[in-house]
Amino acid sequence: MEVEKGKTAKYLKEKRKVPASVLENLKEFTKIKKTILTALKESEMTIPELSKKLDMSTPDVTYYVMTLQKYGFIATGEIDDMDEYFNYKIKE
Amino acid sequence: MQSQIIKESFDTLVVGGGIAGGEAALNLANNGYKVLIVEKDLSIGGKMILLSKVFPTLDCAACITTPKVSEISRHPNITIFTKSEVKNIDKIGAKDFVANVTKQPRYVHVDDCTGCQLCEEACPVSVTDQYQFDLVGRKAAFIPFSIASPKVAAIDIENCTLCGACERACPTNCIDFTQEEENYEIQVKSVVVATGFKLFDPLMIPRYGFGLYKNVITSMQMERQLAPTRPFNTVLRPSDGKMPDNIAYVLCTGSRDLSVGNPICSQICCMYSIKQAQLIMGSLPMADVTLYYLNIRAFGKGFNEFYDQAKGMGVDFTKGKVAKITEKENGNLILRYEDIETGKVSESEHDMVILSVGVLPNQDANKLFSKEDLKEDRFHFVNQPDILASPAKTSIEGVFVAGTATGPMDIPDSILSAGAAASETISYLSRKK
Repeated sequence: MEVEKGKTAKYLKEKRKVPASVLENLKEFTKIKKTILTALKESEMTIPELSKKLDMSTPDVTYYVMTLQKYGFIATGEIDDMDEYFNYKIKE
Repeated sequence: MQSQIIKESFDTLVVGGGIAGGEAALNLANNGYKVLIVEKDLSIGGKMILLSKVFPTLDCAACITTPKVSEISRHPNITIFTKSEVKNIDKIGAKDFVANVTKQPRYVHVDDCTGCQLCEEACPVSVTDQYQFDLVGRKAAFIPFSIASPKVAAIDIENCTLCGACERACPTNCIDFTQEEENYEIQVKSVVVATGFKLFDPLMIPRYGFGLYKNVITSMQMERQLAPTRPFNTVLRPSDGKMPDNIAYVLCTGSRDLSVGNPICSQICCMYSIKQAQLIMGSLPMADVTLYYLNIRAFGKGFNEFYDQAKGMGVDFTKGKVAKITEKENGNLILRYEDIETGKVSESEHDMVILSVGVLPNQDANKLFSKEDLKEDRFHFVNQPDILASPAKTSIEGVFVAGTATGPMDIPDSILSAGAAASETISYLSRKK
């Protein structure tokens, strides 16, 4: 079999079914990413503020904000007046 | 269909590509022997490559590890199999060994990948990053970590949607989903077992609340938070992103504790906790750090001075056995402990707790040999029958042991042990000639 370089995913697709849980995980991450980035487009926010606005638990918001920061979508802003929580904003 | 078995031969097989395995391989290779390192992970460097700094010098761990792994990777006498596993080793006749090794597909041609990370950027999937101890996510097409060796992408096929975005983004066409598992039959004259140790899983002590309370984390998670390639922008609480200002360490988590099956001291927890406490005080100058300990074991060169330095910086040392941790509504944690000096039961509040987890034997080493018996000591580490005269010798002739596979030890001792393993292997191979 001659393999077409750069387009090999199709060969594995024929042999292997992608589990439903993997597709579900992708769907959920895409949704959360969109929600967080849309909220931060309005104004920069701390994690508790985002949690309140999105009605999402603070550990989940922490995890996703830090992940989106790692992926280059979010940047760290100033810390609040109490020196407790950083603000997060969309990366320019 | 049975896949083809690839046959190769080397002087020595080193099982495990951590700092001990790497050092032993390097010493052997520098003496002209051909060495194969088999590493189960995607990168060599073991646990050390993931550390922030080392004690008691506070040297940057990556600055020490990176040149070493680079030297190992580039050495002409060393071959490295990553994402590979030794299935079993058989002794053939009196002197040779045959090992069956399985190499899992990386779905990336290692020689063609430039580590540009464009595949990572294009991948839409996000899963928890095991190299950041689940504190953040990573992509399904990913480079394990920035100083990984080889610094080459891999595809996490279990979480891949096979969308092909990584392939379209790859400028060198190095991603290849047609790769399959490879099976090797390796003939060697000697074996060095450098399978390292396992970290204690604090889920085994439910009263400490690990896994239940987000602000109870392990020392490896704090190690990552303190590293230059950290998961967060600074040291933060995983529960709400707050900068902590009152941090507690619970020493001997899973060590010197017969109730969890590990009665021995892990030898490194006191010093790495003291190191982290000093690093935290550097990152968060306003933070209070308290270490709850049974005994501080500062036995090595410069260790006691390092301990005194931490006390001088204001780290609080409380001789106390922590019984239970509970969580308040604001995520703060209440530690209930016995103050050993007064004999009283007390409670204290902290906004983050680090469990200084101990060292456990990696019993995988003992399953490597199907016919021979690689004997364990009573704590299930690889037995050293002649510890004083020949510390690397094992119960099987031609098989040597290096590093924490023999028991808990710090990095300098692991390197020393690896040196002994290499010397004894060279002596054995010379006698065979």
